[in-house]
Amino acid sequence: MKPFIFLKAADIKTAQTGYKKNAASQFIAGGTNLLDLMKKEIALPGNVIDINQIAIKEIKTDTASISIGALALNSFVAEHAEIINNYPLVAKALLAGASAQIRNMATASGNILQRTRCPYFYDVAMPCNKRQPGSGCGAKEGLNRMSAIFGASENCVAVHPSDFCIALAALDAKVVVQTDVKESSIPFKDFHRLPGNTPDKDNNLAKGSLITKIVIPKNNFNKNFHYLKIRDRASYAFALVSVAVGLYIEGGKIKAATIAAGGVAHKPWRLYEAEQFLTGKTPSEEIFKQAAAIAIKNAKPLQHNGFKIKMLQNGIELALKNAMA
Amino acid sequence: MGFFDNDNLHTPTADDRVDGKQKVTGTAKFAAEYVIENLVYGVLVGSTIAKGTIQSIDVKEAKNAPGVIDIITHENTIALEKFSDEKKAKEAQLGLRIFYSNEIFSNGQPVALVVAGHLEQAQYAAGLVKITYSKAAHVTNFTAAVEKEKTTKYEEDKTRGDANAWKNGTIKIEQEYAQPVEVHSTIEMHASIAVWEGDDKLTVYDKNHAVKDVQGTIANAFNLKKENVKIQAEFIGGGFGSGLRVWPHTFAAIIAAKKLGRPVKVTITRPQAFTMVGYRPQAWQRVAMGAAADGTITGAVHEAITNTSAYEAFGENSTGITRTLYNFTNLQTKYKTLSLNLATPIWMRAPGEATGSFALESAMDELAHALKMDPVALRLKNYAEKDIDSGLPWSSNFLKECYQTAATKFGWEKRKQEPRSTKNGDWWVGYGMGVGTWGAWRLKASARGKLDSNGNLLLQSATSDMGPGTATAMVAIANNVLGIAKEKIKFQLGNSTLPDAPAQGGSFTLASVGSAVNDVCVAIAKKLFTIATETETSFKEVKFEDVIFKDENLSLKNNPSVIISYTQLLRNKNVTEIDITQASESGDESKKYSFNSYAVHFAEVHVHAYTGVVRVKRFVSCVDAGKIVSEKTAASQIKGAVVWGIGHALMEEQQIDHRYGRIIANDFAGYHIPVNADVPEIDVTFVNKPDPYLNAMGSKGLGEVGLIGSAAAIANAVFNATGKRIRQLPITPDKLI
Amino acid sequence: MINREEKELPVGSSRRDFLKKSAALTAVAVIPAAIDTAAKQRLDEKYAYQLEQMPLSIEINGVQKKFKVDTRTTLLDLLREELHLTGTKKGCDHGQCGACTVHINGKRINACLTLAVMQNGNKITTIEGLANGDELHPMQKAFIKCDGFQCGYCTPGQIMSAVACIAEGHAKNEEEIKEFMSGNLCRCGAYNGIANAIKEVAQ
Repeated sequence: MKPFIFLKAADIKTAQTGYKKNAASQFIAGGTNLLDLMKKEIALPGNVIDINQIAIKEIKTDTASISIGALALNSFVAEHAEIINNYPLVAKALLAGASAQIRNMATASGNILQRTRCPYFYDVAMPCNKRQPGSGCGAKEGLNRMSAIFGASENCVAVHPSDFCIALAALDAKVVVQTDVKESSIPFKDFHRLPGNTPDKDNNLAKGSLITKIVIPKNNFNKNFHYLKIRDRASYAFALVSVAVGLYIEGGKIKAATIAAGGVAHKPWRLYEAEQFLTGKTPSEEIFKQAAAIAIKNAKPLQHNGFKIKMLQNGIELALKNAMA
Repeated sequence: MGFFDNDNLHTPTADDRVDGKQKVTGTAKFAAEYVIENLVYGVLVGSTIAKGTIQSIDVKEAKNAPGVIDIITHENTIALEKFSDEKKAKEAQLGLRIFYSNEIFSNGQPVALVVAGHLEQAQYAAGLVKITYSKAAHVTNFTAAVEKEKTTKYEEDKTRGDANAWKNGTIKIEQEYAQPVEVHSTIEMHASIAVWEGDDKLTVYDKNHAVKDVQGTIANAFNLKKENVKIQAEFIGGGFGSGLRVWPHTFAAIIAAKKLGRPVKVTITRPQAFTMVGYRPQAWQRVAMGAAADGTITGAVHEAITNTSAYEAFGENSTGITRTLYNFTNLQTKYKTLSLNLATPIWMRAPGEATGSFALESAMDELAHALKMDPVALRLKNYAEKDIDSGLPWSSNFLKECYQTAATKFGWEKRKQEPRSTKNGDWWVGYGMGVGTWGAWRLKASARGKLDSNGNLLLQSATSDMGPGTATAMVAIANNVLGIAKEKIKFQLGNSTLPDAPAQGGSFTLASVGSAVNDVCVAIAKKLFTIATETETSFKEVKFEDVIFKDENLSLKNNPSVIISYTQLLRNKNVTEIDITQASESGDESKKYSFNSYAVHFAEVHVHAYTGVVRVKRFVSCVDAGKIVSEKTAASQIKGAVVWGIGHALMEEQQIDHRYGRIIANDFAGYHIPVNADVPEIDVTFVNKPDPYLNAMGSKGLGEVGLIGSAAAIANAVFNATGKRIRQLPITPDKLI
Repeated sequence: MINREEKELPVGSSRRDFLKKSAALTAVAVIPAAIDTAAKQRLDEKYAYQLEQMPLSIEINGVQKKFKVDTRTTLLDLLREELHLTGTKKGCDHGQCGACTVHINGKRINACLTLAVMQNGNKITTIEGLANGDELHPMQKAFIKCDGFQCGYCTPGQIMSAVACIAEGHAKNEEEIKEFMSGNLCRCGAYNGIANAIKEVAQ
């Protein structure tokens, strides 16, 4: 690790003042991804500002939404009664990620800010535009079994690794952000971004701003839902493909549907067209099959990840089926 | 007398490990954990090209970094005379001659050692070393290289009977199988602490399971007297073959410690564990078999190619299993290696057989399917009544009993011959089986036994325990022979100053070192007996066969009231201890018999119809490893081996980007080994019948055999579940969807 | 606590210019005159190193400890390299194996993924602090009884994780135990023994 100055901040203002002292400042909370990156010298902060003392850890509910404090631990969120009862997709997704130990360290905001697990990003001897803009994309014509089938660019084919985010995307969460002067809120679908020509930017969070909470609007996806994670081993592995689905069934019909996929794009990937197709229909295996076929329409495989298209299609069909079980 | 003929010996013990308390309290000390005065830290820098030369190394920035003491490269290393003769260096097993020249043979090759006062400082500075290379064209693509190699001459080509006889079968199969590089992935990362005492004495705290071999190699490389090199490796956090030789990081630590005149610790990183301490080579195999309609196999061919490095030869016996497991009277086996710009492989648990058995046992399953025959019935039909490779009779062979026991326990009779015929919800259900065999050897070993005046027995041997429970078994043997309470017996290992013992590998530790322990205990018993005849009138005319050694007393078999304690005997003789060192080796039985262990594995897998995910739901193994000395640790070894089988079959694969000749995803997130959730309850049964010839215990060894055939059992179950035959491991979901 | 200075002093000339480069110093607006003089006299390493250190106070296995650490030192390296509490193991250094599992304020975490300086004021329990004197913790006993290990290297992490697994209420059945213990790799493959040990203690 490159030497750095370590500062502790007990409130947002102090944190942001500290941040400005160095051009390469970095907030640290759980540290479960940042330390990884610092050890590999992918992240080279000059200032590391510990924000764990800031009082943004609570989960609060009101009639319209639930608000998850940015520093709420993944395990705390996953086991919170309100989450389990009314936002179960979130709990299931969180528990599908990482290990019990990491979930005890990683925070809600850290989870959504985690960087890709593309092996080319992680090896400083390899080209990677995300790590080193202009160096090229190692994965695009390399070992891209884990890479994206949606939204990739010439410059980057990496995928977002989070499970939590797939559920948040499905549930139209908002990310509440505090900058110097104001609080603002970013819809989840706009929080992460596609790589385009600037794959070094994972998301649209302005430099130096802090996430204070994640707000999930009240929804009707707490009865018929499913989180499916397909991976190379039974646990403690990143997704090949993951799928979060929610169905709001009323009077035997699908009143609303939500489908998001992980492991397939640079950001959590919503499948709006398939959702729309399902809306208003009577749930059946046949229409789930059709929705899954719609979902993969625009997928583009690379040399080694073509299987992900079939896997996503089957995964959506299965998740929808399981949501009704 | 000895282990086997003592009356109280016939029940294997189910004892707790003798070092269990140290392991569960964190007091067991592994190589990197010794507290050494004045210690500094070395971090290795690996090359970023696969072939070529170093043009320049700029260490200025790194050297100026806080805490950096020195940076050792080929430009400023201590010249080792033994490195200068390439041929001799190879003979001496010196491996990659670290820092010897500017030549690069593989990506990740260690090219610099950064030494600093603190680990963090050395780690940081390692990233500041700037190296420019002159690249040359590398070859790392095994699959592409095999295409050219598989039809040309093989290094080893053995035929018995008619090589083409397989073509005469009514039913024939001919298939190719591929396995990727697998990596030992011991959870403890290899580490060495080198401590020089003057110019001619060296202590190395090291992760290895071959203390005597390592001692010899290092003494030779540094021109030291063997007795002046002390290797300490008491606890080893897994080995599986990766600790059988001296690796470059150990040389680096010793060189740095010498150059700086202070102790140096080098621990490799997890990514470096993929390039610096060996791996199981990549393999291509072809198996062809023909059979008559009744299942009698008319002939077989097994060809195998595995890779080695560009600087050393390494081969394994991948086709060996095909030469002995079945009654193949007409057989051709061919083997060769090809050189790649990768580091040198090394033996990895069940080397050769783990690879070969996947091809052979998959092919047997394919043949059984083609014959519409039960896979067990096919194997029984072709059971080998003797070792037709050597012509020798089996010393013992309970393979048929293994089939019977495991099949019954598993409920094999419920298997459907037709694949893809059982579904449970969204899961296809399949049954599969596979067989393993592994040679049993007894190598020369020595042990020291010291019985003191308090009745405590100290045993010593320079063997190792990388996990099987060596000391636990040795204590059980000594307890059985001498009747001394286990709590009063201590077994010391893992240090080169102890009496000679072979490296721990090849499943021969119990047969070899166990024999030495048995023999030294018998020698102590004889000594006690002699003292008794000399000093106790009631034993004066007694013969050795007429006494028993039990509960720390010597007594008459036919009159147990004539009894004398060991401690009293020492007092009688006015000695404080009996101290005997005994070497032990096999006689000519190896010329008369073929010694082998066997394992039969049955697996039930579920394959998800939508996702292609495979779950091993049940696993039953029955093992003939001769007499079991320590049942609990023995069962754990088989279970552990089956977990390796699960990894081998379903997930382990080292990926290499051939454009760069570089290993990628070189960590536990990229290279998957099984986690707890991947592993069902594994049901292990031992035949537990003694081998009459190998050694006094009747034990044959079981570290490897549990792995052999287990991956094939899973792959065969996947076929039975889905009708898809996966011949290229690992069987990841993408291959089944 | 070992004296880190002692280890630093023999370093010699390689750090002469260090003061000028020290990250710590960039935080100090004005270089104190004494240090400046020291730098000129090439004694800067000693001072610079002091400046790089951060004071830290943590409770480890019931004992309050105070020391200074490099900001980069992970909790794992603090335990192993500075305090010689080597029961906590390093298997990957990247949160991918669980060998470094310890409890912070009663919760299991990976010690390799947290900086020591982030743990100021916290209570840390390592495997060395689990037994009550000579009396082993029930989980330690169960691991021995069920043979929940072979080589023993991942064992302290497994045990710390297992104790937490029960405390969290995640040991209700075998499937749950296996899932919630999947953050601890065991290459010897002692998973059956580990799950059995937890089942036994959970009862």
